[in-house]
Amino acid sequence: MKRKYLSSYFLDGLTYVSTFLTVFALGLIFFFLIREGIGLLRPSLLTSDYFEQKYISSLPAGFEYYSGELPNPDSDDYVIDNYGIIVEESIDKAGALVIRVKYIAEDSPLRNLENENPAFQDDALSLEVGMVINRVAYENQPSSLPSRGAEAMVETMNNTDNMIRQFDFGVEGGGIRGSIIATVYLIFMTLVIALPIGVLTALYFNEFAPKNKLTNTMRSFIEVLTGVPSIIYGLLGIAVFVPLTTTLFQINSSNLVAGALTLAVILLPVIIRTTEESLKTVPNSHRFASLALGANKTQTTFKVVLPQAFSGILTATFLGIGRVIGESAALIFVIGTAIKDQVKILEPATSLAVHIFTVMSNEPANIELATAIGVIILTIVLILNLSIKLTVYLFDRRKRRA
Amino acid sequence: MTNQTLKKSKSRTFMTKSDQITKNILLGFGILSSSFIFIIAIFITFEGAIPFITDNDGLGTVNIWRFLTGTVWLDGRTFVSTAYGAGYLILQTLYLAFLALLLSFPIGVMTALFIAKIAPKSISGFMRGVVELMASIPSIVYGLVGAGFFLPFIYDFGQLFGISSAGGAGSLGVVLVLGLMSLPTIIAISEVSIRSVDDSLEKASLALGATPTQTRFKIILLAAKNGIFSSAILAIGRSLGEATAVALVAGNARSGPNFGLFDITSTMTSMMLAGLKETTGIDFNIRFSVGLLLMIVILITNIILNFIKRKIGNLDEA
Repeated sequence: MKRKYLSSYFLDGLTYVSTFLTVFALGLIFFFLIREGIGLLRPSLLTSDYFEQKYISSLPAGFEYYSGELPNPDSDDYVIDNYGIIVEESIDKAGALVIRVKYIAEDSPLRNLENENPAFQDDALSLEVGMVINRVAYENQPSSLPSRGAEAMVETMNNTDNMIRQFDFGVEGGGIRGSIIATVYLIFMTLVIALPIGVLTALYFNEFAPKNKLTNTMRSFIEVLTGVPSIIYGLLGIAVFVPLTTTLFQINSSNLVAGALTLAVILLPVIIRTTEESLKTVPNSHRFASLALGANKTQTTFKVVLPQAFSGILTATFLGIGRVIGESAALIFVIGTAIKDQVKILEPATSLAVHIFTVMSNEPANIELATAIGVIILTIVLILNLSIKLTVYLFDRRKRRA
Repeated sequence: MTNQTLKKSKSRTFMTKSDQITKNILLGFGILSSSFIFIIAIFITFEGAIPFITDNDGLGTVNIWRFLTGTVWLDGRTFVSTAYGAGYLILQTLYLAFLALLLSFPIGVMTALFIAKIAPKSISGFMRGVVELMASIPSIVYGLVGAGFFLPFIYDFGQLFGISSAGGAGSLGVVLVLGLMSLPTIIAISEVSIRSVDDSLEKASLALGATPTQTRFKIILLAAKNGIFSSAILAIGRSLGEATAVALVAGNARSGPNFGLFDITSTMTSMMLAGLKETTGIDFNIRFSVGLLLMIVILITNIILNFIKRKIGNLDEA
């Protein structure tokens, strides 16, 4: 019977403690992100603009009060019958009381407002669901402000003696719609650029390249790219791709296309390696069978070999999407850090990761919004990871059966 | 048939004219893919050299010696002075990366040993999932956790000892974030190399009367040290090049070197991120110089570490 030494307990204990620390660290990341970010995680975060909009308007002369029916309000809603709207009280980012529109009838007079801003006099304004009422001023009454509560405002507005002189409303800011759109553009453009180049390069290396020193050197040049820090890619983008796109498209700013080109270079080694690995699993007998049936090498490569590498290309796509969503350092240089609500591919904008960097670099840092975006990014990354596992599982099973 | 014709017919069967065209087109893509590393090197060297070889629109050249050894990022005003110094950035970058490794390496290797040799199958499967997930978390999220969670904690911790830090930003925050980030790299690679240690070694050790614990720590870890060392090299590389996560927690010190754990600090990458509002001129080009410096530092560190790895790896090669 072997004696168990005290030092054994200590050394084995070390491994247990280390493992616990690792799991604890991951748990901490999730706990922190969810605790801080959960408050902002509403659908409106994804659909609203980052910058707040304020409109100053008035009711046109001779408007008619709303006379139709309204849906049944919840217990904590407030109904303004005369104008056909239902509002609710809510708290904004700074913790102040705001009055948000929950429902507005089709023919409410507030659907057709005159813009008081002299620059946009001809544009009619309309109150929409989700907007907030900032101030209602009357001819004969002190103004209704959100800070005095919804009840007071509703009471004054429902009284037809009180003629509204000015109606201020707007859209609350803090949304990430623009960054989501920019991220989707980036993913799409990057994959369109990187996938063909990567897959065709992989085909060359696996199907056509002679096995010699030159091929190995070329491979190692591509492999080196994986070790280059992403901030260096940012420098590449600003030194090569931004000037390239500005001359090509006759623009004068950093832009999303340059960002996509930069990301495409980052993705290349991943796509090439993943595709090649799945090309390697295609049995040689398939190639020989195709050649024996009279197909030439080009036909064999594209019609027999490439379709069988589909799972590898799919995995590469998922990996690529994950990389694009998470990439920040390279993009900060190339697409800028200015958050945009109206995203165009030839203008600067921010991806979700850069959005985090921007709001964290602001004074004061908006940790709540940043963590909410962090949760969204982590969720997407998790889904992508599972998709990769599922792809491997499904295709491996099919191969095993065949 | 003579040998000659056989050879000819062989080449004709396998490579028709259209195949040759396909091959050349694909070769073009191969060349394109493998040329990017040169494009990066050439353009960054070119842009990075400008401050040292031109007179920067009348401001005068940047003194390269001062740049390499300087302890103040910029002595004077932007676009007036050319007295840039990045020497302290090199020291701080290396210091922080190695300190982070000091934190993550023992934990990582021990966790890898647990996953590979101690844990039952279900737990090791779970742990591999944990490590994979950690590896796929984007660096900006690590930076966010650092800035939002670690920094307030570090600030309070400093207050306990009467040290007031700049909101917690500084070396300790960077080390924690980098350590956390490099953990999955170390675990994943160490685990693979521990698992691939020959079974016979383990059995021989047990047969000679060593306890399982002694076998794990004295035989298996030693046999896997090449892979374990590689994981450390990769982790260092990742730490040296990490930008956004570091920038969020470093505090962006414009002079140094500061080695105190509660002092604000900066790295080459965080200095590249700070600023860069201009798109021309010396303040723009000097970031490329720092980028060039970063690539050189990473290259030299890698060469030295690989040299050490070969030295200590030679022992059990026989």
